[in-house]
Parts: sequence; structure tokens; C-alpha cells
Amino acid sequence: MSYFTEQDARSIIRNAYGEVQSDDTKVAASIYGAEEIAGLPRSAVTLSLGVGHPVRHAGLKPGEMVLDLGCGAGIDTLLAALAVGPKGKAVGLDMTPEMVKRARENAVLMGLENAQIREGLMEENPLPDASVDVVISNGVLNLSTRQSRVLAEAFRVMRPGGRVSITDLVLAEALPEAVLKSPAALAG
Amino acid sequence: MEPVLLKKFFNVGFEEIDVVERTPFGLEDLSRYPLFAPDFLDFLRRAIPSERHRELVYSITIVAQKPRPATTF
Repeated sequence: MSYFTEQDARSIIRNAYGEVQSDDTKVAASIYGAEEIAGLPRSAVTLSLGVGHPVRHAGLKPGEMVLDLGCGAGIDTLLAALAVGPKGKAVGLDMTPEMVKRARENAVLMGLENAQIREGLMEENPLPDASVDVVISNGVLNLSTRQSRVLAEAFRVMRPGGRVSITDLVLAEALPEAVLKSPAALAG
Repeated sequence: MEPVLLKKFFNVGFEEIDVVERTPFGLEDLSRYPLFAPDFLDFLRRAIPSERHRELVYSITIVAQKPRPATTF
């Protein structure tokens, strides 16, 4: 159950992620290997807001098509693009214009022509049916008030035999109502 | 919670659903994230019993597969 309407939740999250600033690498350093971070643009690292490493468990192969739901500043999209190589492709999807801009800049900085960043909703996935080999996501599914819809859309765009590797936060126990009603908790 | 999320994967049609990583996240972990202002973290410390501060949520990685069509002979 959510205490927020879909539109309100989206607005809160867009504002929070659009305004977030960081010059700190603590989050990325706690998740990714030093050799992975070393080759990435600064803002992809400092604005790494994920909660795990879905790329590590995705088993990506050269030539595969990857979709990153809620790509943020692009760290997992960039790692996926490197993993699938020039014959593959990684598409990052995000609903926050500021994050889309940063992710696009980071893909250009790395010279990754096989990384494409698209603005859009994961509940209304813009990709065609059966066009993706692997769907990844990192700390984003919990931000949606319609998780089943997000998963159904991921399922739709995947080819038969396609895989998902989705990292997300789940509650250990129910939280107090005061926390659940907090917009700041929703954005995290 | 984890069982609820896994059921959503199952209901959509995914198979071979597995949780390959599970890491506890506490308030100190959350404090690394620039999304959380210090006053919000203080609010969480007050609102949530202290014995839960180290394992507030779990980061889990779920892998699953979209079934291939059944082969007929």
C-alpha cells in the first residue's frame, strides 16, 4: 500500500533525483570494484545511487541488448555497454530529465556509441515487444507505485529466454506509519 | 517485503526466479546516500526502534528468466 498517488510519487521522486548533488564516491566505492570505477566519468560515480550490482549477476555476453530501468546518471548502463561490446547495446531509461542529461553526457565522455539514454517511464516502457535480451535495474523498482506493471512491461520487451537481474530494497519489517507517509522516505 | 516482491515476478510470468544476493542495509548505510538529508536521518533514528537500525531494509538482487515457447515435435 502506498500513501501517495502515482502522480504525487512521481513528482516527489523527479524533484529529489533532479536536485541531488554529490561529489562523493562513498556509495559507488561500497558497491563497485576500483577497476570498474576507474574508467568511468566522475558524475557517473558520484551520482551512483544504486543499492547493489545487478550487472555482476546479469551474465552479459557480447552482442546482447540490455535495458537498464531507472538508469540515473548511467553507471550500470555504461558498465553494461562495456560488457556487451560494440555489437551489443545498452539502453538506459529514466524519467528524470536531469539524470537523462547526465547519463547522456557520460556516455559521450566514454565514447560509447552503443549506449543510448532515453527519457521515459518504466511503467510505460517505450521499447518494442521482444527486443531486449537482459533487463537490469538498481534500486529503482521500489520507487514505483505500480511494481507489477513495471515487471509486466519488462517481461513484454524481453525476448523469450531473456533474463532480468534486478537489485532493489525490501523492508526487513514493516516501518512505522510516520515513516511510510514521509515524502523523503519515498524518494529513497 | 521480499516474498511479496518475488510473487510479483512469478505472477508476471517469470521463471527460475532466484535471489542471488541479500545484504542488510541499516541507517548508517543509508547515510552514505545524498538523497537523505541529516534531519531526515535523525527523524528515522527517532521513529524506528534502535534495535532495528542495523537491518532496516535488505538489498536483494533477483534474477529470473522469461520462458521460451514450448518446443513441439
